Amino acid sequence: MFLLQTSDMKKLFSILICSTLFATLSAQQAATVSGVLTDAQTGETLIGASVEVLGLGKGNVSNEYGFYSFSFPVGTDSVALRFTYIGFATQIRKIKPTGNLKLNVSLRPEGAVLEEVVIKANVLKEKLKSTEMSVATLTTKEIKALPALFGEVDIIKILQLKPGFNAGSEGTTGLFVRGGGGDQNLIVLDEAVVYNANHLFGFFSTFNSDAVKDLKVYKGGFPAQYGGRLSSVIDVRMKEGNNQKFTGSGGLGLISSRLTLEGPIQKDKSSFIVSGRRTYADIITRQINKANKGKADYNPIPDYYFYDLNTKVNFTLSPRDHLYLSGYFGRDVFGFKNETFDFRFDWGNATGTARWNHVFGPKLFANTTFAYSDYQYNIKNTLQGFFFNLDSKVRDINTKVDFYYQLSNRHTMRFGISSTYHDFIAARLKAGSNDGQVSFNSGQTFNGMEYGSYFADEWAINARLKLSYGARLSAWQNAPAFYVNFEPRAAANFTLNKDWAVKASYARMNQYVHLLASSGLSLPTDIWYPSTEKVKPEVSDQVAIGTTYLINDKVLITWEGWYKWLQNQVDFIDGAELFGNDNLESQLTIGKGYAFSPLELEIEKKEGRLTGWIGYTLAWVKRGQYRDINNGNYFSPRFDTRHNISVVALYNLSPRWQITATWVYTSGNISWLPVGRVSIQGVPGEQFQPVVPVYSDRNTFRYPAYTRTDLGIVYKFRSKRLENDLTLSVYNTTDRRNPYFIFLEPELKDTQFPGVQIPDKITAKQVSLFPILPSLTWNFKF
Amino acid sequence: MKINNLHLFIALATLFATACNLTKEVDIQLPDYERQPVVECYLEPGKPFRLLLSQSYSFFDPFGLDSTFLDKTLLSGATVTIAYNGQTDTLFNNLSLDFSPLKIFNYTGQNIVPATPGVEYTLAIRLPNGTAIAGSTTMLPLVPIDSVVVQFSPDIDTLARVLTYITDDRSTVNFYRRMLNYSSLDSFPEQDFLVSDRVVTSEKIAFGTGYELKEGDTVFNTIYHITPAFYDYVESYQLAVIGNANPFAQPSPIKSNVSGSGNPLGIFTCLVYQRDTTIVHR
Repeated sequence: MFLLQTSDMKKLFSILICSTLFATLSAQQAATVSGVLTDAQTGETLIGASVEVLGLGKGNVSNEYGFYSFSFPVGTDSVALRFTYIGFATQIRKIKPTGNLKLNVSLRPEGAVLEEVVIKANVLKEKLKSTEMSVATLTTKEIKALPALFGEVDIIKILQLKPGFNAGSEGTTGLFVRGGGGDQNLIVLDEAVVYNANHLFGFFSTFNSDAVKDLKVYKGGFPAQYGGRLSSVIDVRMKEGNNQKFTGSGGLGLISSRLTLEGPIQKDKSSFIVSGRRTYADIITRQINKANKGKADYNPIPDYYFYDLNTKVNFTLSPRDHLYLSGYFGRDVFGFKNETFDFRFDWGNATGTARWNHVFGPKLFANTTFAYSDYQYNIKNTLQGFFFNLDSKVRDINTKVDFYYQLSNRHTMRFGISSTYHDFIAARLKAGSNDGQVSFNSGQTFNGMEYGSYFADEWAINARLKLSYGARLSAWQNAPAFYVNFEPRAAANFTLNKDWAVKASYARMNQYVHLLASSGLSLPTDIWYPSTEKVKPEVSDQVAIGTTYLINDKVLITWEGWYKWLQNQVDFIDGAELFGNDNLESQLTIGKGYAFSPLELEIEKKEGRLTGWIGYTLAWVKRGQYRDINNGNYFSPRFDTRHNISVVALYNLSPRWQITATWVYTSGNISWLPVGRVSIQGVPGEQFQPVVPVYSDRNTFRYPAYTRTDLGIVYKFRSKRLENDLTLSVYNTTDRRNPYFIFLEPELKDTQFPGVQIPDKITAKQVSLFPILPSLTWNFKF
Repeated sequence: MKINNLHLFIALATLFATACNLTKEVDIQLPDYERQPVVECYLEPGKPFRLLLSQSYSFFDPFGLDSTFLDKTLLSGATVTIAYNGQTDTLFNNLSLDFSPLKIFNYTGQNIVPATPGVEYTLAIRLPNGTAIAGSTTMLPLVPIDSVVVQFSPDIDTLARVLTYITDDRSTVNFYRRMLNYSSLDSFPEQDFLVSDRVVTSEKIAFGTGYELKEGDTVFNTIYHITPAFYDYVESYQLAVIGNANPFAQPSPIKSNVSGSGNPLGIFTCLVYQRDTTIVHR
């Protein structure tokens, strides 16, 4: 196994620190220009905007808070700085760096197609030059234009179209990144963790695209500021709200409606945004139930709806201080009620973030965050004098401080500390009779502290070679368990010429909380469980190498190969009993895993009328060495799909019309089907079971391949007060029946023994989820 | 205990899939499977030693349309012995039926199973192909039903429920199987679930029905005191059944407590229970 020993890592890290200190001493005589880049129309900060010194070919990008910094030797003649950002008009500002200079720049959104071309090409160049690899980025334009299931625009589902990402099963927002489990994704919304980022049993994500400003996803080469999950980081930033004028946007779709309002509280200084979304199927089903009430053969349709609400306010306290307060609250509610039966199942996330940005000086920027997040589900069921309540919860209270220090133009450093208090309720069951005569209780509660500190430096060694290195020291305490782990991170970029770069990265991650999922499919009742003495922190080591080639500044080809080692993977023993169990650990088993891909390819085109990408991943994923599963032998998890191809195209027919299309091909999911069957007559009082499946080794059957073509047409028009677009999405245009699951169905016949039936014929049945599904969505802005 | 609260959603989804013609028959090739012997042996105090020895099938193999399915299913010609208290009983290969409720056995001994708790029983089977099956179990003490109480609903006075009380020994971990049949023991059980005393908070355990019984209804209340092995076995085959039809459920191999070169499946356990038959009256 190609892995450096931890001691070697520490030595290497020490050498790099020393070289950085040397650079510190030699970089004192400089003037620095710094500031914040914003959108001139809305006041939103711009993340990842380019700052380039014309003529020198040197540059920098704004960080996730819009802050940038750049240094010049004292005495430098006047220089021209070019500020560019995707979809915005370029600005060139001339400055004479005689001393430190604060320069906030507002860029104006650019409508002209030609300008967009130039700017987008720069984005590809930035990607080429960056040490970052294994990163997926999406623009809100792409997200909103692409065809979607039921017309519901969904960030996570678009991400699934990028190479390295696997949905797990059709229509869901599951994410299995580079062979990682569904719980190994760190999903943060404004720096608060989102534990269960989906609605409707996984079919829609919790992210309302109207409220999302920026999305960045790491599938490897993780920066040191991130920790706590093994396989990906999905960093979602909410919009801050327009601080220039009051605006609104929204949409009416097949299953939900959205409305977003934003505007200044005090122009240029503070703003707010409120964004909500709700489904309305329940309003229709209630009417149907009402109309059929009293009919003997009518079974009422259960209620189901989900909603979410995003809010954010921000205040400029001083030229150096900015305060952001944001929150998210979302719930799914599934219920059924009649005279004797009352069932309600609700689940959802809540997050809250208070963030204070402080600029200490032209080179030092700090972000202090207090974040709260919780995820919980509650099942409440009453029936004829009995009740059954089941709930689980995970709650985090997080404090962290992140520093961003532009030591020199060659060194950009980040360092910080964080602590998180975790509170868990795992499968708490209370059942019994209302009068207290019958009573059952079970469940466990835990709490734990997670600590992290990190240091990272991005070092431009010379014009061709960039090195990004750092480490994270993380710790977990859940008495008596206490773990401390060193997590080195490194990435390098060597530019062969202006169009060609080779890259490599290594990252170790630790995960201290684990999702106990009873199947490969996401369920709201899956339980978050902390690391304990038996359940040790999960560990991943990932190495990646790759190359990036830019053709005519228009098409970027990225190839990566990667290998990931996974340790302390948590799974259930066969036949695990999850509920009504006070000792969940007795149902867990610990193993290992690995995943690798020699070929993860992405071809991106960001310019011209036709834009989009083609992605292909060839990968192998295995789990094994579980004492209680498959005799310790390795097996494929459900999402070990060998080939994944996606083609995404957006074509601008005219300023008003746009056509979009996606095509995906995935090798079939792996499934665990029975190989044999037995009949069990059971004990007195028990019914004869004619067909009890016999399961052998886990996951030996592969479903047929999955293919889907979606098409979309977007028509933009202006009405008196509104900017509108109508989006027609056709999901599964070819009406292909893709396998969602396969089950084996016996046809039974009676025997001469009363009550005893035996199987006459057994067939395999494939269930598909979605036929061709057209949908129309109206979006508006004012 | 299990929850099946998602079943309603799954049923609706399945209904939707059927309505949209989203279910179709497919040809699939399952891995090769070699038939396994299946043992079902419940040692019931007061009843003869008896055992059902059958064979599993490859999943797609039908029993056949004729009445010879018993011959194809039952495994004959084996040597079956059960040892306990220093003696060994042989079970002979005779087909016997119990009619109330209907149960079939193809190996029966001549002695009666004693009710003494703590007695260890050892099963040994030599199959006609020379392979062996072995298992062991221990007789558990009876946990009697303390009382059965009929209560009429305060809201609808024609409907009643039945509460069944037992006393749990808190000094040991105990497992129970609660079974409730209405009208006859051959009827589909209204309740059939497993419970461990880890989830109860006092030594008094009550099992109840809903207010769904009318005057004159007959209720068969059975409380089995079961071994951990039997608990795991029942749990696992119930999960195996659910796992085949429910994409959200994790399947499970059958957890047997018999083993040996015959590569068997099945259960060898004592069956200690008390059954109460109540006719609902005011």
